[in-house]
Order: sequence, then C-alpha cells, then structure tokens
Amino acid sequence: MSWQHQTSAIVSGFIGDWLEAQGNPLALPMTFQSLGVKVPEASPAAAVADPKATLIVLIHGLMELDSVWQFSGQPDANYGTRVGDELATGASTLCLRYNTGRPIHANGQTLADGLERLLGSWPVPVERLILMGHSMGGLVIRSACHAGVGSGHRWVRALQDCVYIGSPHDGSWLAKGAQASARILKALPRDYLRVAGEVIDLRSDGIRNLTRGDILAGEGELAGLVPDVRHYVVCGLLGRKNNPVNALFGDALVHQSSARGERQGGWNLAGEASFEGIDHIRLAHHGAVAEQIVEWLV
Amino acid sequence: MTEKQQANRDWWLGVGHMVSHGLAEGAIKAQRVHLSIADETFNILARNPVTGPVSEQVRSVHHGVSRLCYGTVSLVSDGLARLSQQALPKD
Repeated sequence: MSWQHQTSAIVSGFIGDWLEAQGNPLALPMTFQSLGVKVPEASPAAAVADPKATLIVLIHGLMELDSVWQFSGQPDANYGTRVGDELATGASTLCLRYNTGRPIHANGQTLADGLERLLGSWPVPVERLILMGHSMGGLVIRSACHAGVGSGHRWVRALQDCVYIGSPHDGSWLAKGAQASARILKALPRDYLRVAGEVIDLRSDGIRNLTRGDILAGEGELAGLVPDVRHYVVCGLLGRKNNPVNALFGDALVHQSSARGERQGGWNLAGEASFEGIDHIRLAHHGAVAEQIVEWLV
Repeated sequence: MTEKQQANRDWWLGVGHMVSHGLAEGAIKAQRVHLSIADETFNILARNPVTGPVSEQVRSVHHGVSRLCYGTVSLVSDGLARLSQQALPKD
C-alpha cells in the first residue's frame, strides 16, 4: 500500500466530500479490491482467482484503507480469509476501498449499486454474502442494506450475515465533541476563536454523520436492521472490566453502548461480543476477534 | 505515459490543487486571527494615556500592511488554485 494511497485516505476522510465536488484525484473512488488488486465490478473473474459461492466483503472505516484488515506480519490474512479457511466450501474475500468523507448514505447507495453489479457478474452464483464493517464501515453496510432493499436489489437475497466491528451506531463521542466545540467557538465574541470553530467545521459530511450515526439522507432518521439476516456486533474496550476509562472512551473512539446500537431501539442481534484491552483500530485485525467471528459464521 | 505515471501525475495535481486552495482560504483565516489578536493588544494600548494617542495610527498601519501581505498570498494562491483546477483530469 503506497504512502500516496494512505495520504489520500486520510485527506479523503477530512475533506473527501469537497474533493469529490472539485473533481480532485485525491478523492478515492469506491472500488472492490482483492489482495491489493482492483476488482472490476463488470468482470471480477479477471482479478479473482477461483471465485467461490460464498463472498465476504470487508468495509473499512473513516480515513482507513483496506490495509487496516491485515494481520501483523500476514498481509494476505484478514477476517474474511480466516472464515474462508474454516468453511468447507471456502470463500472469496474482497475489501472495499472508498472515500470516507462522502456522506454515509451516499456511500451506502454506491455500495448497494456496486454489489448489485458485482454479484450479477460473479463467475459462480453467490449463495452466501457476508458483509463485515469496521467503524464507519458498519454504518455504510446498514445504509447499503437500506438502499438495496429500497431498490429491490438481488444481492440482498444472498446476504446472510452482517458483522459490525466497533461501529458507532449511536454516534462517536469524538464527533459529538467536534460538533459541540465548533458551535461554542463560533458563538464567542473573539474572531480568532470563531476562526478555530470554522476550521473544525471544515470536517467532511462523513465525519458529521458520525455525530449521531446517521445512515440515511435525513438527519436523525432511524433505520432498523434489514430482516432475515444475522447481525453481529463486536465492541472494543480500552481497559479491563469495570475500568472507568471504558465508560469515558469505550474503545478510544466508540462507546460500548453506541457499538451495540442501544439507542436504535429493538435490535435483534444474533451475537454480541466485547473485547477488553482491544482499542478501536486493533479491533479490525485481532486474533481474538477473528476467533469469535469464525465461531459465529462457520 | 503509462497508467501508473498518469495516476502519479494526477495525484500530484490533486495535491497542488488542494494546497493552493487551502493557502487561499487559510491566508484569509490567518489574517482574521492575526488582526483580532493584535486588536486585543491595541485595545489595551488605546486605553493607556501615554500610548493612546498614537495607538490608533499604529493599528491602522499594522492592519494595512497585514491585509496587504495576507491578501497577496491569498490572491496568488487563488490564482494557482484556478490554474490547477483547469489541469485536473476531467473524468
């Protein structure tokens, strides 16, 4: 993964909506990747060796790239390959790469359309689709499901499992803090403080959506989980059990209650697991989390 | 030019566009921060009977020079941003 891609991912997270509006090449287009190679949606066979009937798609979070899923020292191993190794029929794993500064509902719609094209041209009929999302990626999955159901997409019928890993369904304390700071600073009578508020306000639509976990175009609109699909939630905690730092910061960026979607109301989860001592980023490539996901999905 | 070289060229054009646009906007914001912080000092000097009589003239010169400097940076950067906008790939 080149440093230019990493830079583009970070910049896209901060101002990706503006970059896209300007037609700036730093804005990452949404692409499916297999082992770092772009997979054309219309002809995936050209990039995927031995495509399977079980397809796993990993979706990274804000300012991240598909490299966030790689296990240390094992660049080709991730949660998808671990599950595929354990399934009798195997599985094909793709990673999504996208501009995380765009509004989540826009990325959800684009992902839904992309999955429809991808599964339509997949060399073998896809019998089982598994979506895993880290952080914002989990919200993009929920948004794509909503868009897919609304558009009558066929891929929704193949979708069997969604795994949300450290996803701020009820918002992130850091995004809420940024919004509150900007509002307070902009109301102060000193111009230098108002400028600080305006600079914070430059953050992308994607970051703004993380304030409340908005996955639909309307702010604060609730969207339930797509039915007839198993939904799993993974939470991280900075400290050990009962450590007050967990209540303050959760996994560093997302509180446990938000990762569980407690304010979303009446979620029927097939599984939920919390991991003490694993922070937000390490949730995306940790052996203990991999074991839990394999136990759920295999 | 290979596809990789083209992508690399486009990437650097994107950086140039973003930086020049950032400088154009940033110079105006930096000017506002600079002048408003300076005003805190000039307001104190204005209330002092010794420095008061000349503080407004100094403030006026200071603000004028500052606006000229920041405005020049912003104008040049804005021009570069427009130029780089034209050079960005259209698709």
